[in-house]
Amino acid sequence: MTEPFLVAQDLHKSFNDHKAVNGVSFTVGKGEIFGLLGPNGAGKTTTIRILATVLEADRGDATIGGYSLKNSPGAVRTLIGVCPQDLALYPDLAALDNLVFFGRMVGLSGKEAKAQAMANLELMGLANRARGKIEKFSGGMKRRINLAIALMGHPRLLFLDEPTVGIDPQSRHNIYETIQGLQANGMTILYTTHYMEEADRLCDRVAIMDGGQIIALGTPRELKGQAGDPDKTTLESVFLNLTGHSLRDD
Amino acid sequence: MSKAIIVALREVRTYLQDKADLAFSLLLPIGIFALMYGAFGGQDLFHGTAYIVNEDGNGKFATMLLERLEALESLDVEQLTPAEADRKLNRSDLRMVVIIPEGFSDSLTAGKTASLVFKQRGNGGDEGQIVASLVRGVVEEIEQELQVQAQVKTLAPSGIPAARIETTVEKFLARDRQSPIVAIKEIPVGNSRPDPVKQFMPGIITMFVLFAVTLTAQTIVEERRKGTLERLLTTRLSTGQLFIGKFLASLGRGFVQTLILLVLAGIVFRVFTPLSFVQAVVIALVFAAAAGVIGLIIGSVARTPDQATWMAVFITMFMTMLGGTFFTVSRGSVLYILGKLSLNTYANDAFKGLIVRGDSLADMGLELGVLIGVVAIGLVLSRVLFRAVPGGR
Repeated sequence: MTEPFLVAQDLHKSFNDHKAVNGVSFTVGKGEIFGLLGPNGAGKTTTIRILATVLEADRGDATIGGYSLKNSPGAVRTLIGVCPQDLALYPDLAALDNLVFFGRMVGLSGKEAKAQAMANLELMGLANRARGKIEKFSGGMKRRINLAIALMGHPRLLFLDEPTVGIDPQSRHNIYETIQGLQANGMTILYTTHYMEEADRLCDRVAIMDGGQIIALGTPRELKGQAGDPDKTTLESVFLNLTGHSLRDD
Repeated sequence: MSKAIIVALREVRTYLQDKADLAFSLLLPIGIFALMYGAFGGQDLFHGTAYIVNEDGNGKFATMLLERLEALESLDVEQLTPAEADRKLNRSDLRMVVIIPEGFSDSLTAGKTASLVFKQRGNGGDEGQIVASLVRGVVEEIEQELQVQAQVKTLAPSGIPAARIETTVEKFLARDRQSPIVAIKEIPVGNSRPDPVKQFMPGIITMFVLFAVTLTAQTIVEERRKGTLERLLTTRLSTGQLFIGKFLASLGRGFVQTLILLVLAGIVFRVFTPLSFVQAVVIALVFAAAAGVIGLIIGSVARTPDQATWMAVFITMFMTMLGGTFFTVSRGSVLYILGKLSLNTYANDAFKGLIVRGDSLADMGLELGVLIGVVAIGLVLSRVLFRAVPGGR
């Protein structure tokens, strides 16, 4: 692992009596794609929300780029970009206007925001739809805009919370290529997904969460190796062995 | 601060892009003004309708009575059948009907007495009573003319035909009706606008400004619903900047709407001088700001658009009812004390001071001070509540 960029230490978060995150610790190296996997309700999104400064941890802390979440949340926000699980867009505004607005919110000037917005739309294959209103876009296009917004301001750490849910293979492929390109440019990425094949393909290391805790951590190959021949075992079978086959509906 | 302005501009842009929303919000003050004009902007003098059942048909005096009533500027005449009159009276569509009974003209021609019937629900209502007195006036006029005719006939030398006497007397009576010996002039005192404008317009303006409560609350909750609130919380935008941006956007929107209402009211009812108009704009701005922060507080604690709407409706109704918009709350009562919690109380007092008593802003120190205090405290409180409610920052 390269030099640590994100260090989470003993994070706890409860909602009423439910322990959503229960002692989560892990480290993500600079330029690494780190996968956070787990069934529904495992605590992945809550962990990301804590790390993205939306929620305060009840206990524990994390540092991002050397800044503590507890002591310097404002400084942390200058380093991160967040692509939330649910689309977070202004449907009545044009794609370009959405990107420019969030660009201004991360501190870019109007000119910089517009230039970055156009570059990000180009990256997502949506430059020709820059003036189109989001409400007219397909699900895949909206997902790509959701990611493009997260890239505004060139964050050093990108949180991607299930960025490929419910989209067509072409859009998914575009997002994969974008993520790999971002990593090649040195961006650190924390990635959650339900698609094991996706995690296997993209992530340098993965942590499997269940019940608010990390129950396994390693490279995909290491995890597959623990269950048998890594060339013949899938990450999905490892995942099911660790988290069980019972349905998780919450 | 610049981020707050960018947030406000984004709100404005969304507002301007939704053509239906834009059109409706600009038409709303015009619509409310039309209602105000309908309620207060009519004639200064009485104008009513006399509902008449004419059972006497083409009888000479029934026709005369109808013609004389129709000639009155303050009265319209609508003839009904007996069945229609009964039905409308039973349904309370009408409060009073004048019935000219069959044989009315024959009795008068024969020199006998005749009666008109006023059929009414209760006391006939205000309009019914005024119409009845107008009808009585016309009937008395006809009666006096008949007496003059009869007197002249008895005094005139014999040999002159009765028809000639009648025509000659009628000619003099007609001249007298055109140029009566004792005429009545109506001189309006003071300016011509009716008092209800002064009485109710402040309440209508303040009630209108209260729409800002719902609109502001909705902007925060909508942001939450769309997921953009959480996304914004991960940027460098502070919660204070977010709230000020939302506040400025809804203040601007509410203020433009109120300005339209004030301009229309000022032009048509002439309730403002140029100086008092500027002062009214200042009061509207301060009150819109106070209403806006109440919306921010609601938006901070509401989790869903429905919650925000109902909280805003409850607070708006509370403030409207206890703020003297619809009725005057008696001094010293429990409602009066509770009314001190209503922003409308202070805004109404300020507007009434301006419109009715001709006060200046300097005379409204307490009212404006309270409203400005609410703005300052509300901005801080909404921020604190937003932090305290799960999901805030």
